[in-house]
Amino acid sequence: MTLLKWRDEFSLGIPEVDHEHRELVRAINSVHEVLDESPSSAEASSALGEIHAQISAHFALEEKNMQARRYPAYTEHKRDHEALLDEIREIMDECERALPYGREAFSAKLNSWFETHFRTHDARLHRFLLDSANRH
Amino acid sequence: MSWLKRRLRALYEHAEDGVERVFGPEWNPMRQLGALGWLLFWIIAGSGLYLYIFFDTGVTQAYESIRSLTYEQWWAGGIMRSLHRYASDALVAVAIVHMLREFAFDRLRGPRWFAWITGLVVLGFVYVCGITGYWMVWDRLAQYVAVTTSELLDRLPLFVEPIARNFLGDLYLSGRFFTLMVYVHIAAPLLMLLFMWVHIMRYAEAKVTPARGLSWSTAGMLLALSLIWPAVSQPPADLGHVPTVLGLDWFYLPLYPVIDRWGVTAVWLAALATSIVLVLLPWVGRRRRAGIAVVHLDNCNGCGRCVEDCPFSAITLEPRSDGAPFAQQVLVNAAHCVACGICAGACPTATPFRRATALVPGIELPDDPLSRLREEILARGAKLEGTQRVVVLTCQHGATVPESPSVAVIQTPCVGMVPPPFIDFVLARKIADGVLLAGCRERECYHRLGYEWTEQRIAAKRDPNLRERVSRDRVGVSWAAPTQSALRRAELELFQRELAGGSPAPRSGLNPWRRARLHGGVAWRTLGQALAYSCAAALLAYFSIAPRHEVLGPKLAMVNLSFSQAGRLKEPCTALTPAELAKLPINMRRPRDCRRERWPIEVQLVINGELMLSGRYAPAGLWSDGPSTVYKRFAVPAGQTTLSVRLRDSGRVEGFDYTRSATVDLETAQNLVIDFHAEQGGFSIH
Repeated sequence: MTLLKWRDEFSLGIPEVDHEHRELVRAINSVHEVLDESPSSAEASSALGEIHAQISAHFALEEKNMQARRYPAYTEHKRDHEALLDEIREIMDECERALPYGREAFSAKLNSWFETHFRTHDARLHRFLLDSANRH
Repeated sequence: MSWLKRRLRALYEHAEDGVERVFGPEWNPMRQLGALGWLLFWIIAGSGLYLYIFFDTGVTQAYESIRSLTYEQWWAGGIMRSLHRYASDALVAVAIVHMLREFAFDRLRGPRWFAWITGLVVLGFVYVCGITGYWMVWDRLAQYVAVTTSELLDRLPLFVEPIARNFLGDLYLSGRFFTLMVYVHIAAPLLMLLFMWVHIMRYAEAKVTPARGLSWSTAGMLLALSLIWPAVSQPPADLGHVPTVLGLDWFYLPLYPVIDRWGVTAVWLAALATSIVLVLLPWVGRRRRAGIAVVHLDNCNGCGRCVEDCPFSAITLEPRSDGAPFAQQVLVNAAHCVACGICAGACPTATPFRRATALVPGIELPDDPLSRLREEILARGAKLEGTQRVVVLTCQHGATVPESPSVAVIQTPCVGMVPPPFIDFVLARKIADGVLLAGCRERECYHRLGYEWTEQRIAAKRDPNLRERVSRDRVGVSWAAPTQSALRRAELELFQRELAGGSPAPRSGLNPWRRARLHGGVAWRTLGQALAYSCAAALLAYFSIAPRHEVLGPKLAMVNLSFSQAGRLKEPCTALTPAELAKLPINMRRPRDCRRERWPIEVQLVINGELMLSGRYAPAGLWSDGPSTVYKRFAVPAGQTTLSVRLRDSGRVEGFDYTRSATVDLETAQNLVIDFHAEQGGFSIH
């Protein structure tokens, strides 16, 4: 089963950011499957490490875009990014400590973060970008 | 050369240990010499603008206007004048200490040649500004500077008529010369400012303002010095006499006594040789350059963090080249990259939690890949023993760290290359109990910004930050120069003791021992600084006017032989016959045909029966059709003197075309001029 589903309403209108969003959703789903198959703890944690690196890079890019456009809600948005990165680091540590890591817990955490983040922060950023595009 | 460099480096390091103890790392003037130079420049520019309002251009007005500024307006103009002088002297001192330091610390190789060379240009402008500045005051020192500088310039094949002739006597000098000087004295600093900007252009976050406290206290020192020991003029210039003994500004004019002794040609050659050596220094004994940073496009989305962090502006964001759906990617400029690795430390994909094989960040050094750093940490960490196991990540330029069973030391090009997730990794995977980042002297990174970025990343003030969840009790930083290995050992020991839980005081911030080290003995530090400023002020004041230089020995006078005279034509003109004229094209017909070449002139000067000069002077010009020029000075004993001067300008073999003999009673230091004007009957002595 897939954990996350990309929906077009998630789209921000910045092609590179949307591309990475889709990539991320795919990567997270594949990690989810790795966890599903109950591999060794090292394998699971390095798969998560991979995701962590990818998300870090994605956030760095999105943050650059926000700053370049003087997005007023940058601080809150970034705080939410940091929260997810912390969360994934937490999961990586838990994974190191004991396996099988609760797949349901993983799903629940990531699912709720992404749903909320897409619905609130990203949607707000999207509106801001549309508005500023219309102004020009 | 490398021996000299090592000795000089050791000298600097030891001196800086002392300076750092007195000033603290933040105010340490040695680590912000360039910024101090900028501060001094603005002080000089500001005071110079004020002086410009009151300066009069004219042979007597120049001196008079400055005199009245100094005495009648001592409370403003006088202070401005003193600030102008002392800040300029300090600028020379700061620039030279700065230059030698960059040399000693080997910060001129590779891409850093650019700042070295442009810095030399700036230094050249500093001297042009200083010399023209002394010229404008038109006191006896100015007179000496004017004559000697003119002689120096006349040595170059630039001017047919020697500039030095302007200073033979008051009759020769025009007030317009001071207008010219004002222009040069304004244009030179403007050009200098341009080169100062070029000098730092390639440096990200170049420091152009010193720490605030240091700025204020430096300005305060200059102001105090200006009040206690104001800069004054020497007696007014008097072209009828030669200055005998002068107080010299040894910051700007150290070469002038050398010119007096060795002559202009020797000094030009020495200056040329020195300049060539200085210009070539960045390429002398060049070592193999480490491979510059490489970009792995598969891991680069163009987030630009490495661009922000690169201290040498070597990375730029460029349009995507590989078809991936990103707008940008980064590109490394090989001419700027010094292979410090700080970019790798900034890359968000540089995390060791990834699979070992996949640890390829968006940008890194090919000679020091992060995958190897990870392997080394794992391999060396596995052998650590005890309860206070520490992984120390060092750089190549700071104090060494002793290894022990509980301490693994891993060297990187710069601690700024260590991505914060590596610290998280060591602690989370329990590879060690603590991570110590051990770099150069505090605030003094060989690669410029490794210190700042490391501190800010650990304090979570800069991305990529060390995650809040990483316990700061287990992360240490230690900044120490190679001469501070005792400090380094002490900090490592303290860190290990803390890891063992032996820290009695409640924690406040990172590494409390460092704060203790800074705040030790405020009274002593204040006293030390007061002493340092007093010494600096005393040195500035003293060498701006002393020791005195004897230009002309006692009981001597100066005889100048200076004139221009065109030798006669070698061949007389011939009249063309009508037949010859008819052969020429219409526009080239002329009644007489003249060859342009002239005879060289021959001159002899006999003083008190002794033949002082016997010379041939070739005509100027590519076709040898210009005037011949003589400019010679002779120091002779004062008193009754017989002079005899002879000139041949017609190419004859024997005898002279003009002669003049006279007996004069020379006063001490009199500046006697022997000039020549054929239309006024030949030689004149006055």
